[in-house]
This record gives sequence, structure tokens and C-alpha cells, in this order.
Amino acid sequence: MRALRTAASGMSAQQLNVEVISNNIANMNTIGYKRQRAEFQDLMYQNVERMGAQSSSAGTVVPTGIQVGLGVKTGSVYRITEQGTPSRTDNRYDLAIDGKGYFQVTLPSGETAYTRAGNFSVSAEGTLVTEDGYAIEPAITVPQNIVDVTISKTGQVQVTTDGEAEPQVVGQLEIANFFNEAGLEAVGDNLLMETAASGPANVAAPGEPGFGQLLQGFTEASNVDAVSEISALIIAQRAYEMNSKVISTADSMMSVTSQIKN
Amino acid sequence: MENAAYIGLSRQMTLRRELDVVANNIANANTTGFKVEQLMVSEEVGQRARNDFVRPGVSFVLDNGLGRDFGQGALQQTGRPLDFGIEGEGAFFTVNDGNGPAYTRDGAFTTDPEGRLVTQAGLAVQSDGGDIILNPAIGAVSVAEDGTISQNGALVGRLSLARFETLSALSKDGDGLYRNRSNAEPIEATGIKIRQGSLEASNVNALMEITSLIEIQRAYESVSRMIENANDLSRRSVERLGRVN
Repeated sequence: MRALRTAASGMSAQQLNVEVISNNIANMNTIGYKRQRAEFQDLMYQNVERMGAQSSSAGTVVPTGIQVGLGVKTGSVYRITEQGTPSRTDNRYDLAIDGKGYFQVTLPSGETAYTRAGNFSVSAEGTLVTEDGYAIEPAITVPQNIVDVTISKTGQVQVTTDGEAEPQVVGQLEIANFFNEAGLEAVGDNLLMETAASGPANVAAPGEPGFGQLLQGFTEASNVDAVSEISALIIAQRAYEMNSKVISTADSMMSVTSQIKN
Repeated sequence: MENAAYIGLSRQMTLRRELDVVANNIANANTTGFKVEQLMVSEEVGQRARNDFVRPGVSFVLDNGLGRDFGQGALQQTGRPLDFGIEGEGAFFTVNDGNGPAYTRDGAFTTDPEGRLVTQAGLAVQSDGGDIILNPAIGAVSVAEDGTISQNGALVGRLSLARFETLSALSKDGDGLYRNRSNAEPIEATGIKIRQGSLEASNVNALMEITSLIEIQRAYESVSRMIENANDLSRRSVERLGRVN
């Protein structure tokens, strides 16, 4: 019976769907998190009676044929890179990107990772670092005796030091953009890595055409919408239950068959 | 001889196949752009297994086709700019998988490293003039209701939307793709709307499918009871008539 395996493929697909939804809900308050969505496709079809096959020697053909589908598979799980709401923190090193782009982070291994989470701090040496202490690229170092830091929409970092009236420029932040953002690989800790599918990073100052602007004193909230996640969860649960009904139906049909002969 | 058993068997075989089709519908209840399928069965007059001119002929059950309901599925908002939903029945996006055109209702597209608009499986979505190349540096992609794609006011191309006179010309290839197996040429789809930021859900109706499940199970049980009764009848006649005294 094909129905058993077909329903099993449906159940495992819905299980994955619930896993994706639960990860979205778990990361509802994660800064810069982008919600994910599982996309399903039908599995291959078995041609029981091929359409267009000759049905008689007179040359008549089968018009529709019989194709029995063999279930469902996960096509992809992709990130929806919709803008998250900027939420005010008033922390002077918190940055949100309004529009497209990713901050560049230098990992301890020397590789570059990308992130939308702009909750930065300064290290003991005065360098701008992520929560995990990884340096931002290009490196920004602020002097010790600062009074105030201003980061403009276009990424210019200005500091006012004690006893100086004029603010001085200490660096220029740059953000990266990709042809195919959905192709970036998530590695945890809010970090994404470049892949062959994403294409190489285009780096430019914020505010350039195609790049977003920076907002100082804000962080980008996740773009998870609780209501739509909960309704997706309900749909997934019902679909799971329906597939289990198919299995119990197939099972009871098989038991009826085995009881015919007594 | 065993007409009842053979007729019952022909029905049980189609019921099993019907269950396979219903199982596939339910498994694909959350598949984007999936269209519900139904097995079509008919009466097939057959030769009876007895040379008796008084009794009428017998009819077997035969499945002779699979019908697809190409009705509109609900459009779900996703808020993703490269998700396109078709509003209007019987029209398809055209994609190129290297073996000529294939057709799909699944509009969850993305871009490849070269900026081409592709399906999640990486097949290039076709416009009237070939592949669609997007440039992320220009700005947001917007799609008009008639399928015209533009970026920041600059025209990129128009989605090639196909329609077929007879939808039964299409056969399913899996991965949400339909292929044209007949000589029928696709015609340009008119009177439909492309909705950006939406995806078409499957048109599987859970209630109908669960009802079919119950029907199939009960029909299967009653047919097997019929076979059992016929079997009982011949067993008893052998027992009684075969008695010597």
C-alpha cells in the first residue's frame, strides 16, 4: 500500500514544519532574527497508466492517464528578510539597519560573518565589538576619554572627547549586501556566512543606493509575527492529525483483507 | 464461477488506489500551489465466468483516469517580495529546467548568485524574453497585476504566464511542476492577477478528504464482507451437496 508511505511522508513534513515554527517562536525576541518558512513540494508521481498511451490497435489514446503521487517533500526552508521593527534602546552603541544590508563581523578564525543584530559594545581597547566580543569590520576604535559618540545614518562615527568642543571623526562603518540574501548560511549566534548560493558580498557605506541606513540607539526586533506563527502551528497540527488518520485507515483496510479467509 | 469474488476484487483494487490518491492529497495539504486529485472509476462490462445465456453480463470496476481540480487555492500573505501568487484559475508560471518549459503554480521564487529569478529548486523563471535578471543594487522589485516586473521604475520584463485550452494535457512531474505532454500549445493567460507577497495555498479541502477516507474504508469493508459471504456460500454448498448420505 502506497498510502502508508505517502501519509508517513506527510507526517514527517508537518513535523519539520512544526520545528521551523517553534524555532521562529523561540526567537521572537532575538535581535535581528528573520523568520523562516518551510516550503513543501509534491514528491514524484508514479504513472500507473501513462497518458497518451494507445488504448486500442485503432490508435485511440488514453486522454488523462492515472498518475498516483507518492507524497510530499520539503522543498526548502527559507528566511523571510522582511524589515523588523526598530525598537528604541537609547544605548549609544546599538545600531539598527533600516533597509537592506548586514554588519560585517570578524570571527576569531579570521573569516567574515554577517549579522543584522546591531547590539554592539566597546572592548577594553575601545574597539566596537559584538555581544560575543568579535570585532566589527571595518574596525572602529573610540578614545578612552569620550563624552559622546554619534553614528550618522550613513555610518560616520564621530566622538566628542573631554575638553574638545569639536567632534572628531574616528571611522566609517560599512555594510554588506548580497544578490541572494536567502542563500546565506545561518551559523547560530545571530551570524550568517557567505555561500556560493548567496554570491559575493557587495560592501558599501550605509545609505548608498540599494543599502539601508543606520539608526543609532535602536536595535532591530525580530520580524516574527506571533499571530501568524500560532495559526501556522494550528494548521500544521491538523495536517499532522489528518495524515495519521490515513495511516489508521490503511491499517484497518489491511486488517480487513487479512481477515477474509477463515 | 467466482464472479462475486472477481467483481469484489476489482472494486478493492480501485479502492486501494483511491486511498493512495487521497493520502497524497492529505500529505500535500500544505504544499504551495498543489491541486487536489481524484481517481475516476467507471463500470467495465466484462465476460462472466460461466457459459450461461440466461443471466445478464457482469460489470467490473475500472479506474480509467485521474482528475485534477484546478480551482483557485487561498492566497496567503507572506510579506516576502519574491513570493508571487496567481489569482485566476488555469494559469501557470513558466520555468525552464533544461528540458524545455515546465509549468507551476508555486510562486515562491528567489534569486541565484547571478541575480536570475529562480524557483526554490533553482530553475529559471521565464519572461516573454527569456530569463529574468534582477539587480539588487537598483532597489526593490515590484510586480504589477499583469506580471510586469520592474525595479525602481525600470522595466525588467513580463512574467510568461501560460494557459492551456485543455488542462488534462498537463501531466505532473513532482516538485510542483507540470509538463505539457500533448501537442497543444500554451496560450497567453489573460484576465488573471499576480499578487506580490502572497502564495497560493493548496486547494485541498480537509473535510472532503477525511470524508473520502471514511467512504473508502467502509466500502472496502463491505466489499470484503461480500467476498466473505460468497466464499461462505460455496463452502457450505460443497459441504452439503458433497455429503454422501
